[in-house]
Amino acid sequence: MRIAIDTGGTFTDCVYLENGRLQILKVRSTPDDPAAAVLAAVTRIARGEPVEVRHGTTVGTNALLERTGARVAFVTTAGFEDTLAIGRQARSRLYDLFFPKDEPLASADMRFGVGERTASDGSILHRVCADQLSELREAIRSAAPESIAVSLLFAFANPANEQAVAAALEEIGVPLSLSHEILPEFREYERASTVTINAYLAPKMQTYLMRLDAGLAARESRLDVMQSSGGIIPAATAAREPVRTILSGPAGGVVGAMAVAKRAGFTNLLTFDMGGTSTDVAFVASQRGLSITTESQIAGMPVAVPMLDIHTVGAGGGSLASFDRGGALRVGPESAGADPGPACYGLGQRPTVTDANLALGWLDADYFLGGEMKLDEERARESLDRSRGALPAAHIFADGIVRLAEAHMAQALRKISVEQGRDPRDCVLVSFGGAGPLHACALANILRIPRVLVPVFPGALSAYGILVSDAVRDHSRTVMLRPDDPRLAEHFQTLEQDSADVVIRTLDMRYVGQGYELNLPWSGDFVAAFHALHAERYGYSDPRRHVEVVNVRVRMVSMTDELIVEPAEVQEGDGMQAVRKEKRMYCQGEWQSGKIYDRALLRAGDVFTGPAVIAEYSATTFLPPEARLRVDQWLNLIIHP
Amino acid sequence: MAEPDHPPVNPDPIELAICKSSFHAIAEEMGAVLRRTAFSPNIKERCDYSSAVFDTQGRVIAMGDHMPVHLGSMPRSVEAALAKLSFSPGDIAILNDPFAGGTHLPDITLVMPVFVSGAAHAAFYVANRAHHADVGGMYPGSMGLCREIWQEGLRIPPVKLVSGGVLNEPLLALLLNNVRTPNEREGDLTAQIGSCRVGAERLLEMVSRYGMPRIEQNIVALLDHSERLMRALLHSLPEGEFPAEDYLDNDGITTEPVKICVAVRTDPAHESLQVDFTGSASQVSGSLNAVAAITWSAVFYVLRCLLPEEAAPTAGLMRPVTLVIPEGTVVNARPPAAVAAGNVETSQRIVDVLLRAFAEILPARIPAASAGTMTNLTIGGIDPRTGEAYAYYETIAGGSGARPEGNGISGVHTHMTNSLNTPVEALEYAYPFRVRRYAYRAGSGGLGRYRGGDGLIREIELLGPAQVTLLADRRAFAPYGLAGGGKGAKGSAMLLANDECTALAGKCSFEAPAGAVLRIETPGGGGWGI
Repeated sequence: MRIAIDTGGTFTDCVYLENGRLQILKVRSTPDDPAAAVLAAVTRIARGEPVEVRHGTTVGTNALLERTGARVAFVTTAGFEDTLAIGRQARSRLYDLFFPKDEPLASADMRFGVGERTASDGSILHRVCADQLSELREAIRSAAPESIAVSLLFAFANPANEQAVAAALEEIGVPLSLSHEILPEFREYERASTVTINAYLAPKMQTYLMRLDAGLAARESRLDVMQSSGGIIPAATAAREPVRTILSGPAGGVVGAMAVAKRAGFTNLLTFDMGGTSTDVAFVASQRGLSITTESQIAGMPVAVPMLDIHTVGAGGGSLASFDRGGALRVGPESAGADPGPACYGLGQRPTVTDANLALGWLDADYFLGGEMKLDEERARESLDRSRGALPAAHIFADGIVRLAEAHMAQALRKISVEQGRDPRDCVLVSFGGAGPLHACALANILRIPRVLVPVFPGALSAYGILVSDAVRDHSRTVMLRPDDPRLAEHFQTLEQDSADVVIRTLDMRYVGQGYELNLPWSGDFVAAFHALHAERYGYSDPRRHVEVVNVRVRMVSMTDELIVEPAEVQEGDGMQAVRKEKRMYCQGEWQSGKIYDRALLRAGDVFTGPAVIAEYSATTFLPPEARLRVDQWLNLIIHP
Repeated sequence: MAEPDHPPVNPDPIELAICKSSFHAIAEEMGAVLRRTAFSPNIKERCDYSSAVFDTQGRVIAMGDHMPVHLGSMPRSVEAALAKLSFSPGDIAILNDPFAGGTHLPDITLVMPVFVSGAAHAAFYVANRAHHADVGGMYPGSMGLCREIWQEGLRIPPVKLVSGGVLNEPLLALLLNNVRTPNEREGDLTAQIGSCRVGAERLLEMVSRYGMPRIEQNIVALLDHSERLMRALLHSLPEGEFPAEDYLDNDGITTEPVKICVAVRTDPAHESLQVDFTGSASQVSGSLNAVAAITWSAVFYVLRCLLPEEAAPTAGLMRPVTLVIPEGTVVNARPPAAVAAGNVETSQRIVDVLLRAFAEILPARIPAASAGTMTNLTIGGIDPRTGEAYAYYETIAGGSGARPEGNGISGVHTHMTNSLNTPVEALEYAYPFRVRRYAYRAGSGGLGRYRGGDGLIREIELLGPAQVTLLADRRAFAPYGLAGGGKGAKGSAMLLANDECTALAGKCSFEAPAGAVLRIETPGGGGWGI
């Protein structure tokens, strides 16, 4: 039996298939010992059977965000020890005389230089010498690191010096993260940052995964971990290369969205995952596969290993509303977070987006989290009334909060669609997370997206994505070659050492002189394909110009057995069997009467129009007037907004 | 309180917020498109560009979060283009003349009108500006030590690069014939055109969504919103006249220090402010001359830093502020002054002087002086690996000044610039250089209760003979400390060639042989407190 377990801040979501039907189990997370919740869930689901566990973990993310990782020694070419600290020499905030800057993960006394140099063509200009290496080893040993990162200039072009350094440091007996293994690509700061993050997370992840593995081994089970790039890797690999797992949860969401959209017959999708404090959006063209980026930033630090191209904005249901000093409304970036949370949760004083949703009648106060938690409508309205300034009524204020929050979300979706030359009118908007389906129709209208899809278990789509992910290993190397260079094929071959069902070869290419690359498949006439892709993404191309291949990449995929989910029988219906009550809802500037449906009671083939609210355990969908909803054979809600 | 220039409107706080964020998003997207599609590392890797959106009268209503020195001065470009040209749909103007809407010649600005279909006048203008790595003139990189503007490169008055959607090929050919790296220039200009068109497209989408009347009303509200925030700041200041002065080392031609002085006059009762540069040095023979747009930018930058974050950088912001900038001075140069360094060096010193004055007004909110120079390094020559000409430009960060509540930051760009470094590995692929060292310059930050940030050390070995131009300051006058804090270390540079080490002046240009190593040390920030 295969189980996907995604650890979140509040809940640990488990999704598995039992007798052809998807099952969900939510258990409370145990933040002090996340393994406890995972093992407890396995015990409940597996009932003693051996299981394959696939895990989305936040252990790495949290260690990075909370700065609780290892004491790291950073080793690089002498003269460049400060690379990690200088970064790109730019400040984070332009118009702030007191702009902040975080200490790098290795402080000045933990950064070490070694006399050596490799040139861009891979020739060794200065070989490391043995005396220096033993000095370096002793200096590092006395600094007592828990983990070591090594990233020498141009080590990807020729790793000889880096390998010599690694051999000398091995006997210190702590995990080594080496740049030519973790990320053999150019741009020294981004590479050093990635390798150092890996070293920073390695000891903690090793301990955590060993504890989980030991707990599972007792039942002859295996453990895999979700990567940020949208595929799983064995726990042992994840323990060695934890930097690949930082955003495993959000990656699961995108993979899950792609799987449900594909099954429902859609090819291009925009994902919209709105939670309490942040919102993730992504674009996927399923015939091209998942869209990957190597330019991510986490906690202000570059992470250049492949990750799904997910854009995150710091706005969610908990974003606070207020007026700025010039009298304009403002939603976020401040958030009520989990503590105190929105006013309607009973503790917070200031109004949030969730309070606004409740005041507009878009949430069912009695059926939040399946009724486990009662929302306080009175408190929500009071907080809105207290803060509404000159606006005439709480619901007017609430309406403004929602519209402004939706404008922010629409901009996030624009960034990953129109800004990249992709037309939202060709997409389906797959909405999930607790709050995504509340705002999906409004966003679809702003961006002219013709369809909205709300999957089954929208609050646990990440776990579903992890369940259906393939096993994936990504390898890459900076080569900097002209496209007709015969060595290209050799480079691919050296990268393809693992066995796999499918090998996907891609190239990062650019016009000579450009500073950014586009990734495209290594196919027949890839140069022509590059010109075409450049025109699509950036509005022009110039076939007269020389192009170069900057990086070669391979993605080794071992397919996961497809999940056989039985379609439901479709029967025309109006959904009336699921109506729990009627309620007034504020939409399009007036109060209207709408129905509240219980999603669990909806049947395939049901069709109805808004205004309506569809309530379920993990999320709420709002259907505005005139929007038409249909339940498809997979029990997705398909909405014409 | 001064009368606003229109009847008071009661803004809808919701529409205002949505409008403000939509315009800002458009300016940001224009910048993103430009960065993604430009050719030169200067734009792509270093992010030396800006973009902005203007209303039908040419008043700025949104600017991207880009180069501060560009942003305050962009409105002058639109003003100059509007004064010289009459626009039709599909036109795009180009300009770089510092005396007609520009700042210094490498900064080329494009201005595009946005017409709502059927209208006789443009409803909006969009503009972007990018620092081009070479625009001709005496020195590769066009940032050398010139005495008059004609030596600095090609001077472009506001002219149409695109008319009715059709590229003016002869004009482009003329421009490209006069620069050292025409391919790169063409690529960058194409990217600038694309960025303008994206901005125009987004504005028209906004019009079709909300309609012009609603948008016009919100523009008025948006400009007022900025003004209100500025007035609230000015209202909170103590009344008085606060003078300050500081110096640039010299103009690179003579050894005379160049004085910049200011008197900041606050008037909380009228919520207004006067910034008077009377007494600043006459314009100089070298290229340190700043045109008025730059001085205006520096004032805008300092005030924006003092305003709350929600203050949108619109034309409304500066309504209650007046500037006195006497003509023919180093802060308001007249033709034919050379101006290349006014943008990069003098602009930083103007900020230093303004902050020194504001340190008297708001002592808890002003840090000590930062490096105060962008340390501009230009290297040009023939790449021995390919036989092709190249021109490379970079700026090197320094230390930031200590703050009333903490140490300064080391090795970071401050105030009027925020350009990124070019990665060492990208540099060595693209140019015949080998970087020998890139590190913090330990101990260069000023002492005090809080220490100034340290400067940087950068060593570059030249693998072929090259023409090198250095344009840097703070060699004679160190970055000041505040509240008793010590000064930051001055900058320095040297050349190691043929086993000899030569100290380099802050401003110099010379031929270096293959194998020479340039070593540059940038200033630290001043300290704060004892």
